[in-house]
Amino acid sequence: MDDLSARVRLFVYRRFIDGGRAPSPSEIGAAFGVVPLAVEKMLRRLQADDDALVLLPGSPYVWMAEPFSAVATSYLVRSSGHEWFGNCVWDGLGILALADHDGQVETWCPASGVPLRLDVRTRRLEPGTSVVHFAVPARRWWESIGYT
Amino acid sequence: MDTWSRATGEPRGALVTPERVWALAQRWYDDRLRLDWRRRSVPERQAILEDSGLTGSFWRLT
Repeated sequence: MDDLSARVRLFVYRRFIDGGRAPSPSEIGAAFGVVPLAVEKMLRRLQADDDALVLLPGSPYVWMAEPFSAVATSYLVRSSGHEWFGNCVWDGLGILALADHDGQVETWCPASGVPLRLDVRTRRLEPGTSVVHFAVPARRWWESIGYT
Repeated sequence: MDTWSRATGEPRGALVTPERVWALAQRWYDDRLRLDWRRRSVPERQAILEDSGLTGSFWRLT
């Protein structure tokens, strides 16, 4: 990964943390003085060569910078005025760890619809009674990352 | 869990405590804000899973 790509990758993460969403190629281009087409190529390399991002299929737009999701999911993370979406419970907790924030991961039991919430306070997980289900074996996690 | 499995036709996976997932999340993502980040190798990722107590065939990455 070249230096500019590394800085763009970090910029994407910072925009997720600070602004709750992914930056567009145009925004990245404006921040780094690079034309959007060049940014789009860079994002595709970051996905294909470095496994650093996931783009929305058929587009140059960031879908995931794990643990963040740019699209609304069933894993809403809230923390002192911030809201993010994770790709799963693991990622929801990963967002709080990465952002170094206390907060909550809110989701729902997919079978019953019962709301579930995990709370992190003073960087510790509050005791609860829920369990986390990993549906896909680890060797298949990246076969279809959206499903995983 | 069984309701979910019947509704989706998917086999039951693995159940993990949130505490273990929290420990895993902290380790798994502790490098993402480094400028020199690179994707960890499979053995490195496997070691994090094992250190988090996730062992056995379900948790094998390859």
